[in-house]
Amino acid sequence: MKLRSGLSAVSLVIGLASAASAAAQQKPASLGLGIFTFTSGPAAAYGMPGKNAADLMIDEINAKGGIEGVPVSATYVDEAQGAQGVIAEYRRLAGDAKNQVMVAALSSANCLALAPIAEQIEVPTVGWNCDTHQLLIDGKSKYVFRPNGNTVPEFIAYAIYLLERKPNVKTVAIINPDYAFGHDAAKIFTAALKALKPDVEIVAELYPKLGSPNYQTEISRLTTARPDVVFSNLWGADLENFVRQAAPRGLFTSSQVVLALGETVLQRVPLPDGVIVGVLGDGWWMSPDAKANPETAKFAEAYKARFGEYPVFPSIKMANALIYVKAAYKAAMQKNGGKWPTRAELADAMKGSKVATLTGTAQTRADNDGLVDQVVGVTVKTAAQQFPVIGDMVRYKGDSLMPQAGQDPLAWISTLKPEFAKSLPKPGSYK
Amino acid sequence: MSNAIIPLLLDSLASAALIFFAAVGLTLVFSVLRVLNVAHGSLYSIGGYVAASICLFIANRQLNPYLSFVALLFSAVLVAAIFGPLIERGLVRWTYGKSEAVQILITFGLFLILEDLQRVIFGVNSFYEDAPMRLLGTSSIGGVVYLNYQILLIGMALLVVIGLRLLINHTRLGRLITAVVTDREMAQAMGIDTNRIFILAFSLGVFLAALGGALATPTSGIAPGLGADTMVLAFAVAAIGGLGQIEGAAVASLIVGLARVLAIYLAPSLDAVAPYAAMLVVLLIRPYGLFGSVTARRI
Repeated sequence: MKLRSGLSAVSLVIGLASAASAAAQQKPASLGLGIFTFTSGPAAAYGMPGKNAADLMIDEINAKGGIEGVPVSATYVDEAQGAQGVIAEYRRLAGDAKNQVMVAALSSANCLALAPIAEQIEVPTVGWNCDTHQLLIDGKSKYVFRPNGNTVPEFIAYAIYLLERKPNVKTVAIINPDYAFGHDAAKIFTAALKALKPDVEIVAELYPKLGSPNYQTEISRLTTARPDVVFSNLWGADLENFVRQAAPRGLFTSSQVVLALGETVLQRVPLPDGVIVGVLGDGWWMSPDAKANPETAKFAEAYKARFGEYPVFPSIKMANALIYVKAAYKAAMQKNGGKWPTRAELADAMKGSKVATLTGTAQTRADNDGLVDQVVGVTVKTAAQQFPVIGDMVRYKGDSLMPQAGQDPLAWISTLKPEFAKSLPKPGSYK
Repeated sequence: MSNAIIPLLLDSLASAALIFFAAVGLTLVFSVLRVLNVAHGSLYSIGGYVAASICLFIANRQLNPYLSFVALLFSAVLVAAIFGPLIERGLVRWTYGKSEAVQILITFGLFLILEDLQRVIFGVNSFYEDAPMRLLGTSSIGGVVYLNYQILLIGMALLVVIGLRLLINHTRLGRLITAVVTDREMAQAMGIDTNRIFILAFSLGVFLAALGGALATPTSGIAPGLGADTMVLAFAVAAIGGLGQIEGAAVASLIVGLARVLAIYLAPSLDAVAPYAAMLVVLLIRPYGLFGSVTARRI
């Protein structure tokens, strides 16, 4: 009896192994993607444009026959449930073999929590908006990839652009959200400013709670500090509220304001002219590269028709992440003779890949981090749109603002010299 | 720092005013009904959503923009008229005489439902219409540009304190409420319709919450999560002032407002914890709050 049970178990294992092997050879009926974003809570103001873009992209991919002939279906996971819930959902989705790839996540905390699990259970995971520079810092990742942004180049870009436009800046105040992204951004921006112009003084650093509806006191505090520059990486509803409250109180005229994630509010609040805004990467759908790409124009119009607004850079980041996944499947199948790839083969195809996105190129380094250009500009009015757009743009090459793999980012920033900034393209040069 | 004293005081008053609207309704409901309404924060944000919707309607139809001031008050009345009787009769009355744990669980359930409903109806983006703020313009005080609307908020909070005092001390309804608060059983024995008093008091609490949300809308914007934040802050204020104490809520709002503003000016990293640090200090010294007491119940 025992022998028969043992033999059955062995047969079962062999059978399963054969089935798994066969699954690696044949195209599945559908390709499941686990897509992690915020669909509720204050962060949904940033997460929903990502989900909208995913919905649109997946519909378009399926309309063209899917990825390598396989229709795509997404399971969305709301990151607002917290890290424990997100981890549980990740494990549940990964346990189903039909889910081949995870597009996760928006929150840096969730990205950092999921990364070791991705490595442990060997599931290709594409960080669609995992900006924290800590994500791939050890350089040992095999299954986690970041084809979009990284806080280091993102926030150095603003320091360089600001000093080019306002070389005599003396005092800077910072108002960032009170969590890792806000503090990391302030640290990187300040370190870059100090390296490039050591006499700059930080006269106020405010970290209002994420989701604050009212910034009146913070605006008073910023006004009393009388800074030359106010820097902020507030985002979503927080940024909208801050802009609406600060504009009538004269903050945008008394100081040069830098809104690192300012593109997301261009269509929603009346931003004055001359505000330095950025898109954390190259994801501006009206940049010269994007405008020259018919796919991007088509995507932007389809997005507007379906959701009532043009895409914002989280939408583009999501779209680019899905393009990255699609390209990885194509590359993996080219590499293995046209067979449907295993998860490991797919991850292997992502390594070192160079993918043309809607807005530029995502070059994956050996440490799985993406080199993505940074687009920064200022708000300007044009006859073409009812809302302000980004003008006087510069496009910094992704690799020019990134330390080498394995290098401590803050130590690298501290070595930057004013000559380094002078060697980069100037504001207005990206036309 | 010396040049920041006037802005600091003005910011404290404006901050206290917004907190007060949320807290005073909560404390009034507790005082009369002896129910801690955890859904109170949601009623605040519903007031904001309704006010913003009506103001947007006025703006889109290009009606007289000054109607938006009327809309702020009207929306609070509307929310109170609909949600007050509905929640009190439909849910809260089943909790009378039950333990605080049951009351909190039931009203927390209501809070979750209301939060989801708001998200479904109004979406996840910030919702606002700032016509009242724009119409009133700005003033420069102490070297800082202030919105005149912020000054109006301080005045409105003061009006609510005076109005509630007048209502309770100088009207028949106020005397009936006081009788119910002092001794519910005796009031019933004397023929007072406590059910009616409960509906009115609860609706008044809803009105104050919705009024707070409505008045906050032009400057603050309403987004998912506001209800929870408001609720927590309102509880902190109610605890500092003493549960059920209107003057307590006013003084506690000032303390919390000042604590928060001082933190932003002097120690920004303590901004989020300042209101709760103030609560901790007060409760360590006076465990029943500044105006609370162990035995007597007053409003």
